[in-house]
Amino acid sequence: MAEIQTADSGARKKGGGKVRSKKLSTRVDLTPMVDLAFLLITFFMLTTTLAKPQIMPVVMPEKKITEEDVVETKESQVLTLLLGADDKVYYYEGITDAKLDSTDFSAEGLRKVILDKKRRVKEEWGDMEREDPKNPGQKKMVSRLNVLIKPTKESRYKNLVDAFDEMKITNVAMYVLLDISEQEEEFIRNPAGGLKFSVEEQIEAIQKTTKKGQ
Amino acid sequence: MTAMCDVSFLLLTFFMLTAKAKPQEPVVVDTPSSISETKLPESGTLTILVDKEGKIFLDMTGQHTRYSLISDMNSQYQMGLTEEEMKKFSIFGAFGVPRKDLRKWLAMNSSERQNAANFPGIPADSVGNELGPWIHNARLAQFRLKQEGIVPEEYVIVLKADKDTPYPAIQKVLNTLSDINVNKFNLITNLEADPNKTQGL
Repeated sequence: MAEIQTADSGARKKGGGKVRSKKLSTRVDLTPMVDLAFLLITFFMLTTTLAKPQIMPVVMPEKKITEEDVVETKESQVLTLLLGADDKVYYYEGITDAKLDSTDFSAEGLRKVILDKKRRVKEEWGDMEREDPKNPGQKKMVSRLNVLIKPTKESRYKNLVDAFDEMKITNVAMYVLLDISEQEEEFIRNPAGGLKFSVEEQIEAIQKTTKKGQ
Repeated sequence: MTAMCDVSFLLLTFFMLTAKAKPQEPVVVDTPSSISETKLPESGTLTILVDKEGKIFLDMTGQHTRYSLISDMNSQYQMGLTEEEMKKFSIFGAFGVPRKDLRKWLAMNSSERQNAANFPGIPADSVGNELGPWIHNARLAQFRLKQEGIVPEEYVIVLKADKDTPYPAIQKVLNTLSDINVNKFNLITNLEADPNKTQGL
């Protein structure tokens, strides 16, 4: 690679009187080395995962719940979200004479619905004190709103994550993931028919499945 | 030229030291995004992969745990694996085959193992559920090794599903987890901007 030539001191230029040694560079050609270095950089850059993925913690309740775990709630504090096909969300408030409405997952859609319901719950019932999960021993005020999330069979995973996300964004303290009932599926197909889902059936459904996200 | 060489070697050193090979997964999973900023822990994770079609794969870290798990499963379900096959299992990655096909999976070469089309996924229906025993035994194995001081922590269960996975597939996984009393787990998501922070909601 590196060529170091010893100048021939004996060589003289014709007619020249002075002896001058030939100046030669002692530099090494680095191009191949840099090429190799960049090749390796590219390789490591492509195989490295720099950004670690984020995780969203989910806590489900125990499968068996006791009487003590059951918290009573008022019908007017309940909002049910039915995650439908094509990223649609159907929602209804309470159970008796429930009216089905639909929206989407945009900031103007579902978030408005939840915040609006939250405001109305606060006006009617006020907030309640609850143990702060982040600072044990301390209490904080949380909304009394209860959100029931029920994905239909046509919904996709993204909808579920978006719904959980929306709970976090709007600061809803109590939300539950439940299996959808046949009555509710019928309600989506035929909203004019009304919801044929009694309070007792709702409670039974919650006790049977009891999947609670928090 | 020297300066460029210096810089390139500096970068090379940086990438070499920070490099952690991408875990080879048989399926490409496009995760949904959320505002959650919690990071996935480096080690001690048990990942349930669910692809677009709802096929379920399972991956866990730790060679010792994997070996311990497969020898437990081998004796519990009479899978008839040899010592060599169990050693292979402990160094391989995510798998998505029913128990009876595990042998075939172990005999595959690495490019065949990367091809998701070869695998039907781990059965997770309520009848003939194999996902539950796998996760349950993996957690037990990790717990036992933690007691012995070989691994530092218990498994963190993470669910990595594609955003287009139909809900019934997810529901199967959630039901399985609840059946084996795994009530705390994590969903892998991409980061998206928190509107509360950006808009001051």
